[in-house]
Amino acid sequence: MPVPPGTMGTMSTGSGRPDEARAREGDETRHATLLRGVRNPVIVILILAGIFDGLAGNPVHAILLIVVALVLASDVDLPVQVEGGTDVAVEPEDSHSLVALVIAVVYAVAVGGFERYSWPGTVAVIVPGVVGLLMAFRAARIPGPEPRPIQHRGAVAWASLFIALGLWELTNLLLQPDLATGSYAHPTLSTLLDPILAMHTGRSALLFVWLVLGWYLVKR
Amino acid sequence: MSSHDATVAIYALIALVGLVLEVMGRTGRTEVPPLGTVLTRIMHTRSGRIGVMAGWMWIGLHYFAK
Repeated sequence: MPVPPGTMGTMSTGSGRPDEARAREGDETRHATLLRGVRNPVIVILILAGIFDGLAGNPVHAILLIVVALVLASDVDLPVQVEGGTDVAVEPEDSHSLVALVIAVVYAVAVGGFERYSWPGTVAVIVPGVVGLLMAFRAARIPGPEPRPIQHRGAVAWASLFIALGLWELTNLLLQPDLATGSYAHPTLSTLLDPILAMHTGRSALLFVWLVLGWYLVKR
Repeated sequence: MSSHDATVAIYALIALVGLVLEVMGRTGRTEVPPLGTVLTRIMHTRSGRIGVMAGWMWIGLHYFAK
């Protein structure tokens, strides 16, 4: 019985054929991983956000967002990591919360002293940001019971709110003289926060809120 | 009312709606969950968790970093 062309490579007979089959399977796996990555909305959003942030003149933000997207795309099919037969712990002990709070206060006060958009300020924000991201990557399996599903109406309500916020922010951004120049008549949230962030105390307060938000998210 | 005032008022309205949704979610009498429950659900998946943390990092970068 004749064998259709192209099917021999999957058989393990003949020298070199198994290697070809394995190589082809590897290619197919990589392509499937890439396809699944592209179809993942989180990856798509991160890449789009990175592209537009880059176009807006923020190369550091763009690089970080795109790197996270690419790592997530390549990592999306990795098996669940288990350490010592148990899930990787995400939720820190409650006793650590007070220590974390004190560290957050000290950090916010110290880093708030740096000028906005300075390199020391940039590094001081990137470090906790990357730590938070690494903790998210490390938490391959989320401990605890499966959270209860969100009802359709509830999901629509919250999604509508954040979409409305995003569209209103985008509207005001496009009504500015240009993307880098704020407008008093059509202020974005950034423009509204500028007077607060111009002060050391304001920067420290918002940094503290940002750090606490990160801690809250890590504990989710 | 100036354009500035109208813009800020709409931001305030969005925040108020968010607050109302949160209060409704905490009563447990509606299908609207609290925001924390939504975040927990989103962050139960690997990509959702990383996506939310990337968003948090981006907020810090946007307001403070180069």
